[in-house]
Amino acid sequence: MPDERIPDELDDYLRGSSALSSQYKRESSPLPPHALDRIVFEAARPAPLESKRPLKNQSLAPLAFAASVLLSLALVLAIIFGPQAKKPDDKPRVVQVRMFKSEPPRASPVSARERNPAAWLADITALRRAGRRAEADVEMRRFRSAYPDYIIPINE
Amino acid sequence: MAPRMLLPTMEPHDTDAGLMLRYRDGDTAAFAALYAHYKGPLYRYLLRHVRNAGAAADLFQEVWSHLIATRARYEPRAKFATFLFHIAHNCAIDFFRRDLNLRRALPAHDPDSLLEPEVPEHQRPDRVAEFAEQQSALLAAVAALPQEQREAFLLREETGLTVEEIARITDVPVETAKSRLRYAVRKLKDSLRPIQEPEALPLRTYA
Repeated sequence: MPDERIPDELDDYLRGSSALSSQYKRESSPLPPHALDRIVFEAARPAPLESKRPLKNQSLAPLAFAASVLLSLALVLAIIFGPQAKKPDDKPRVVQVRMFKSEPPRASPVSARERNPAAWLADITALRRAGRRAEADVEMRRFRSAYPDYIIPINE
Repeated sequence: MAPRMLLPTMEPHDTDAGLMLRYRDGDTAAFAALYAHYKGPLYRYLLRHVRNAGAAADLFQEVWSHLIATRARYEPRAKFATFLFHIAHNCAIDFFRRDLNLRRALPAHDPDSLLEPEVPEHQRPDRVAEFAEQQSALLAAVAALPQEQREAFLLREETGLTVEEIARITDVPVETAKSRLRYAVRKLKDSLRPIQEPEALPLRTYA
């Protein structure tokens, strides 16, 4: 009855006392070549972990490069368009050119003049006397718009 | 031929798992102890399973490399031997799959090439000094077993693991592993019987 014999064989084999296991144990016992031992031990040393650090640094390298480029770009933009850079080219200089073109010696700002309509009219009169009628007319129009109710003396 | 050092039956407290934990934490000496303990059984399992010395050497290196690379994630959920040979089983499965694909890709008009292992010339078994392996009747019978039965037998002999653990390594139900082992033992015994017991042959008398 083979069906009954096979389980017995397996049980006998699993107990480790079978002739088959004994014979297998008497067979040759090849070992891996020494070269393989060296390769495996080299791989098992901590060196592979250390060698991964440069890989991690390398993986961060593009990010660091991008960050430095962004910082450089931001710095350049700050130099070109920043508030300190704007000052020399900003309005005051343009305004100064327009204002002092008509009256270079006077340093008083427009606001001060506008606060004193008599002085403003005196400036306009000075422009007319200097023969700068066009500028005097422009200033007069501005004066009228600023002081529409101001009664201008006849000689103005 | 020197008698082989057998792996002891695994203790309830798996000291090898402890060694692996120590290696995980950076103790290289623990790895050396593990390697010295398992290099022979693992190499013989691979050599006699894939039946190719060059491929066995490659797989041997692959198994240890995998263990080394994944050591940080190691958790002792099972015996270390089960863990190690499960890696080996997977590597061997991949080898057989690649080997099958290569054989299928070979030209059909070259029947001899189907019998040759797809390894570099210098790694071919006939170029490696493994001739003693082929001279043993038992090892020849082991090599002739179907792949799954051969693996079950080799795992049992080289590691001393139980049928349940062999089933776990090979990802099959316990009954399947037991069946494979049963057929392997039966075939090996049958193939060796004429040599072991020549007198057992029935004698016929003719009147």
